Amino acid sequence: MAFDALFQPIEIGKLTIRNRVVSTAHAEVHATDGGMTTDRYVKYYEEKAKGGVGLSICGGSSPVSIDSPQAWWSSVNLATDRIIPYFRNLSDAVHKHGGKIMIQITHMGRRSRWDGHDWPVLLSPSGIREPVHRSTCKTIEEEDIWRIIDDFAQGARRAKEGGLDGVELSAVHQHLIDQFWSPRVNKRTDEWGGSFEGRMRFGMEVLKAVRAEVGDDFVVGMRICGDEFHPDGLTHDDMKNIAAYYDATGQVDFFGVVGSGCDTHDTLANVIPNMAYPPEPFLHLAAGIKEVVGAPVIHAQNIKDPTQANRILEGGYVDMVGMTRAHIADPHLIAKVQMGQTDRIKQCVGANYCIDRQYQGLDVLCIQNAATSREYMGLPHEIEKSTSPQRRVVVVGGGPGGMEAARVAAERGHSVTLFEGAEALGGQITLAAKAPQRDQIAGITRWFQLELTRLKVDIRLGVYADEATIDDLRPDIVVLATGGQPFLTQVPEWGYAEDRDESLVVSAWDVLSGAVAPGKNVLVFDTICEFTGVSVADYLADKGAQVEIVTDDTKPGSAVGGTTFPTYYRSLYEKEVIMTSDLALHKVYREGDALVAVLENEYTGVQEERVVDQVVVENGVRPDESLYYALKERSRNHGQLDLEALYAAEPQPSLATLDDDAQAGFLLFRVGDCTAPRNTHAAIYDALRICKDF
Amino acid sequence: MLDILLPILIFAALALAAIGAVRRIRLWRQGRPSPVPVLRGLAAVPRRYLVDLHHVVARDKVMSNTHVATAGGFVAAMGLAIVVHGLGLAEGILGWLLLAASATMFAGSLFVARRRRDPPARLSKGPWMRLPKSLMAFSLGIFVVTLPAVGVLPAGFSQGLGSWLVALVLAGVVAWGLAELVFGMTWGGPMKHAFAGALHLAFHRRPERFSTKGGEGNRSTGLKALDLEDDQAPLGVETPSDFTWNQLLGFDACVQCGRCEAVCPAFAAGQPLNPKKLIQDMVVGMAGGSDAHYTGSPYPSPERGDRPVGEHHGTPHGPIVAPASTKDGKALVDAETLWSCTTCRACVEECPMMIEHVDAIVDMRRHLTLEEGATPGKGAEVIDNLIATDNPGGFDPGGRLNWAADLELPLMADVERAEVLLWLGDGVFDMRNQRTLRALVKVLRAAGVDFAVLGNEERDSGDVARRLGDEATFQSLARRNIATLAQYRFDCVVTCDPHSFHVLKNEYGAFYPEGQESDYPVWHHSTFINQLIEAGRLRLAPGQAARVTYHDPCYLGRYNGEYEAPRAVLQALGVELVEMQRSGYRSRCCGGGGGAPVTDIPGKQRIPDMRMGDVRETQAEQVVVGCPQCTAMFEGVVPPAGDEEVAVKDIAEMVAAALDTTPEAPPAPRDASTAQTTEEVMS
Repeated sequence: MAFDALFQPIEIGKLTIRNRVVSTAHAEVHATDGGMTTDRYVKYYEEKAKGGVGLSICGGSSPVSIDSPQAWWSSVNLATDRIIPYFRNLSDAVHKHGGKIMIQITHMGRRSRWDGHDWPVLLSPSGIREPVHRSTCKTIEEEDIWRIIDDFAQGARRAKEGGLDGVELSAVHQHLIDQFWSPRVNKRTDEWGGSFEGRMRFGMEVLKAVRAEVGDDFVVGMRICGDEFHPDGLTHDDMKNIAAYYDATGQVDFFGVVGSGCDTHDTLANVIPNMAYPPEPFLHLAAGIKEVVGAPVIHAQNIKDPTQANRILEGGYVDMVGMTRAHIADPHLIAKVQMGQTDRIKQCVGANYCIDRQYQGLDVLCIQNAATSREYMGLPHEIEKSTSPQRRVVVVGGGPGGMEAARVAAERGHSVTLFEGAEALGGQITLAAKAPQRDQIAGITRWFQLELTRLKVDIRLGVYADEATIDDLRPDIVVLATGGQPFLTQVPEWGYAEDRDESLVVSAWDVLSGAVAPGKNVLVFDTICEFTGVSVADYLADKGAQVEIVTDDTKPGSAVGGTTFPTYYRSLYEKEVIMTSDLALHKVYREGDALVAVLENEYTGVQEERVVDQVVVENGVRPDESLYYALKERSRNHGQLDLEALYAAEPQPSLATLDDDAQAGFLLFRVGDCTAPRNTHAAIYDALRICKDF
Repeated sequence: MLDILLPILIFAALALAAIGAVRRIRLWRQGRPSPVPVLRGLAAVPRRYLVDLHHVVARDKVMSNTHVATAGGFVAAMGLAIVVHGLGLAEGILGWLLLAASATMFAGSLFVARRRRDPPARLSKGPWMRLPKSLMAFSLGIFVVTLPAVGVLPAGFSQGLGSWLVALVLAGVVAWGLAELVFGMTWGGPMKHAFAGALHLAFHRRPERFSTKGGEGNRSTGLKALDLEDDQAPLGVETPSDFTWNQLLGFDACVQCGRCEAVCPAFAAGQPLNPKKLIQDMVVGMAGGSDAHYTGSPYPSPERGDRPVGEHHGTPHGPIVAPASTKDGKALVDAETLWSCTTCRACVEECPMMIEHVDAIVDMRRHLTLEEGATPGKGAEVIDNLIATDNPGGFDPGGRLNWAADLELPLMADVERAEVLLWLGDGVFDMRNQRTLRALVKVLRAAGVDFAVLGNEERDSGDVARRLGDEATFQSLARRNIATLAQYRFDCVVTCDPHSFHVLKNEYGAFYPEGQESDYPVWHHSTFINQLIEAGRLRLAPGQAARVTYHDPCYLGRYNGEYEAPRAVLQALGVELVEMQRSGYRSRCCGGGGGAPVTDIPGKQRIPDMRMGDVRETQAEQVVVGCPQCTAMFEGVVPPAGDEEVAVKDIAEMVAAALDTTPEAPPAPRDASTAQTTEEVMS
């Protein structure tokens, strides 16, 4: 049987799990009600269980103590008995579908923020500052230690009383347990530091207290690091010793292994490997831990594909595979494997939109699946056929918004025509995929392409739809997803002209699309600081250009998320791209064969010049609104949306007018950048929430 | 003149017939012994003919009436002719009766003649084309020679030279008729079917098939066990003489009507099998010779259109299938022919002579597998897997419940007794069938059925092994399953796999240890679900608007006669059921039975493609099945370009989807002063 290894049940402690796939712990940023698991939280995990995942470990970094603050990341709060009934709802919802659910419990120690909410004093073994959160802390006292050990036990009890199947003690990501482990952070000379046993003691006391509280019939696992990748940090051999030491107690039911520490920006990027990484980059570390422990080992990190997962399990490297982002992208992944529909799986592309939002304290969302974590609003993962009459739907623009609109409308059973001016679907995704190490983002398009083909959407490539083309189809509904164009006209002194021979500047799109050949000595001016600027700089450097990327913001790429900018920086520094901040592009002029870019310091007004042969400007996008205004007055709804209905994910009232024959014309909606330039997720969400009710 | 000639002719014909009969019987006696109750068998012939055989023949009304007139007329005419003309006792009504009988026979023979004018492809030609003329010669000749006996013509009409000639011509006509119809019966002409057919009915190897005064016959579809302990018995059939004598007799009864050919899925798919030709080849084999005189449709050949006749030959004691060492690789039948059969029983169901084609094919497969190790394609691998792992896929035998790790199915080993023992079948290893099983579990739970499973104690039922000819592996599996079942107490066995169902119900009985017997009913899940619905144990929310068609699995329908329950279930679901042209006992096989998917004999097209073509003709959105094999075969069909995919659903999935999950009573209205509980807010 295909996927035999994947569907082999496993015993963890006294718990049987139906298959080898885990949604590992991550912060959802959903427990907004003082750390209670909300309806949203429950539905998010219920969907995964419904979709067949064996085990979900929820609540990444859920604190057990009042001085490990919960509010920054809306974490689940295990420091109070109030959580217990909420847990019951959560566990019932998951168990109903045959899934199992545990929660990660922790004390974050110094790895948090002190400057808000209760204004807590953070703690760590030796009071050393943490760089990623810029957090200072006090040296933990014996009384704190014993209080926190008891808090762990109480937290575990609350999980058990709430019907959850287990807890995972977080000793990873430099939380309090592994702060004690690490000689880099633990400089104590008392019995809580120093020797190996001393550094292990806090974790061991936590384990003993938890086990004593919950007994044998409740799973207690530990998530550990495989190698901190810090010169003075815990090495892989250290971690093997630690794992073996805890395993020897026989009290740990499983080990979750994360490759890499994460208390610098650079190592953090390893923890949730984005699309720049190869598949399962740290599997060897987990396999190394498996060599020395008897308990089952779980490993996540860039395992996105069921075939890959099955191969890893068949190889015996680990006992269970974490497919966490894979389930954020498609919570029905396992069900689709079981249905023989692996080519319908929406595969995670490693854009890390989810985790990059999380690190900003925003709710976790998927770049390509707008239904994920919006299950509670009724946004569907499987779109049901409409009961209304079949409509003729015309979608203009084959970027993410247009593709999603076409998909959703077709799933509803309507007759859908999709126009795309280019010769391929994808829109800006196609451009984004041109940059080095960014090719996997094209997976978003690839999935849509497969789905639209399956749904028999009439895709007309290379056609710029105009009023006449649209009228010919006599549509009931027109969805515009025409996107926009690079905004190069904002500053006349840049010297942009439509005629490329005359224009002094080119856009990032021109370069990435190949319409303009890369220069040899290039200045990239990026005032947006998101993906496009660093992508085009990396692309040019990759083609052999000398590149300087200049921004008037604080740093190029500063708006790229926390797990993503490091991979750009690694690539840019390696190619000796110069990154310059605080300078705005004031003017460009031609001097002989060369171009002179005049840059002006944001804070002093002092100007300086660069002599280059190409100036690339990234100034974002202006919506393409022409077709919208051409159609707006003729449409039944004048292109307007009922915002209350939209935000409540309810049907647009204007849809009711379609059955009124007295009215002529079509309904007109806009999605994505052609309304206002936003991002891929916004375009897809626009499309899903409007079109799901067609 | 005639009164001298006719008795001579009649008694000469009877004498020749008797000699022929002895020779024919000696041919049959080359087969292995098989004791039969001779007198009781002979006494049962009229009923078996008039009730059971006629039941099959009557499916074609015109031919049935034709046969009644012709055969009935002949039997009566022949009997009366012996009395009237042989013994010269024409007095009274006898002559008139003879006239009536021969006239009836003549009328029948006109219809026989009409059918022979443009005969369908399934009918054999050759000597069969002269049969209507022979029938007419006999009936007309007897009619005319009887006219003087009743005084319609003067008794002396044949006096004188002219009359002599008339008499001679008449005698010649009667002689022709007698030759074909009387001694032709035992010397191998088309009328052989009457002689062999009658004795076949008397000495049939499955007498239980026939009705008795007490009631209907049972279907008797289980294969007969091979006695592996008997050193003398061959392991299967290598040569024609390895068949039992009454099997040989059965082959000889074939009337070459080709009804089997018309319904054989392998033949239609262009695989090298034609059940009629196969039976005729057996006849050739028992007499010795080549198949050159066969005049029906040959075996199809994917490469060459048809396989030419005349290239194969056999003897009673020579191998049927050429051993690998033979130079031209040809003997009586090619192995591919035997491996093309899906054991769907369509041929047996249609055969008016009650011939048991499937028994014969499995007998010959047994030799190829057990003695030669010559199971083709993936067959040998499947058998190896069964031997090593007790399942055909070679999966870890400890993983039978992997698919249900989250369902917490009660194990028989734990509960020891249950209302229902749910037999899961080897579909536990197939992700598609796991969905069916999960649906079935959901339905059983919704109905509050107390059930349990054997889990890893269950083994493959042995169906595939047995039909691939590996009787030894089958018996080993059967005995071990029986021993497991014997440990537990349950009211009945329910399974969603018609193959397991058939084997447990009809074939395990022979393997119970002395003094034990199977004392539990076995139900296919469609039957059991229908019982649940009828008992009001399932709440269904009808109103699935789908237009569906239902495919009768061979091992449920033809093998076990269950056609109604699945349809009743669909009716209860409120779906629109459209029947395929070939449904019920004429359902066309999916191609998945008898190990055919693993032996994989190539044809011009695939059987499941043809069946899905039948499905498409109904314009149904879904085809409902009740068999994991059928599901797998149908889901493997790629729709023709431009056609919509037709969904394939097991009946359990249909029922599970229609379960009414709304609470039985509306919830009590909430007191506005009561605060909402967390549960209510959350759910």
